[in-house]
Amino acid sequence: MKRMECEFEAEVLAAVFQSRWPEQAGEELRAHVAQCELCRDVAAVAGAINESREALVAEAALPDAGRVWRRAQLRARREAVDTAGRPITAAQVIAFACAMGLLGAVFGATSTWFQGALGRMASVDSGAVLASAAKLLIENGAFVLSLVAAVFLVPAVFYVALGRE
Amino acid sequence: MIRDTAFPDLSRSDAADEARTEFVVDEDAFRGFYERTSRGLWAYLVRMTGDRELADDLLQETYYRFLRAAATHENEAHRRNSLYLIAGNLARDARRRSLARIPAIPAGDEIEQVSSASPAGSPEGRADLARAMSALQPRERAMLWLAYAEGASHEEIAGALGIRRGSLKTLLYRTRRKLAALLGGGRP
Repeated sequence: MKRMECEFEAEVLAAVFQSRWPEQAGEELRAHVAQCELCRDVAAVAGAINESREALVAEAALPDAGRVWRRAQLRARREAVDTAGRPITAAQVIAFACAMGLLGAVFGATSTWFQGALGRMASVDSGAVLASAAKLLIENGAFVLSLVAAVFLVPAVFYVALGRE
Repeated sequence: MIRDTAFPDLSRSDAADEARTEFVVDEDAFRGFYERTSRGLWAYLVRMTGDRELADDLLQETYYRFLRAAATHENEAHRRNSLYLIAGNLARDARRRSLARIPAIPAGDEIEQVSSASPAGSPEGRADLARAMSALQPRERAMLWLAYAEGASHEEIAGALGIRRGSLKTLLYRTRRKLAALLGGGRP
């Protein structure tokens, strides 16, 4: 079974992190690393990564903590307002749906064409009603679809649109 | 963790509250934590994404999510693990969204060995490392960075990357071998 750890690994890592590797790491450790494949990998990888980190850290131009804190607070408040506004949006959508329903009812009550169609439907038997409904749908398909859209789809679209704001 | 420092205990609510406007962490505690972690975290994000501007954005997002999270942290190491877990997830998501901005990862056999003549600290050496790191999987990059840049323990790496601790030793060994080979073998 292949060896995956070496007892000197921690010592090599410590030398790298403390910038002692390789010059100030001691002759004994250097000699070990020269003949230990595991420690050689650790020294190479940790050395390269650690130096890359130091270089990146030195050139990092970051916003100060206060600015990050204030931005986070502002964003949290904005999100809290959005969250609090969601029930209002839902109520508005329900009200809109009710208004559309009322509009449909008023239309049904006042439109002679609609009442006539209803009267014709009431005077015939159920088979004829179905046929009449089918005929109504075929002859006035666009209108029926618009009505369905107004009652069901428009409130849904409004809900989605307002919910995303 | 080798780069660990003391941190005043932060008591946090356990209940997640979407409408919370006040963070339970106070500003002074946050400032201290930010000063101790931000530079290292930014370096980590640069290496994970390969894009400095993206790293700038993700840094702010990471701290925001850290502040908004309703997690209880036992100590500084645990707190750092959470921070790096958030950062790692954000870097992975960002990478998925903008693959074109990040160098493609070649398959194992196609990886060209980078120059072994460049000293690690030189600009050429850093470019070699960046190229070699880009040939690794994101999780491999994160694992090596946490181990050899942040000095994190196996337990901390497992926690930050969501890997089983039992598998970590083998994964770390294989990935280290792979990067060492890409860097052209061990340096004296």
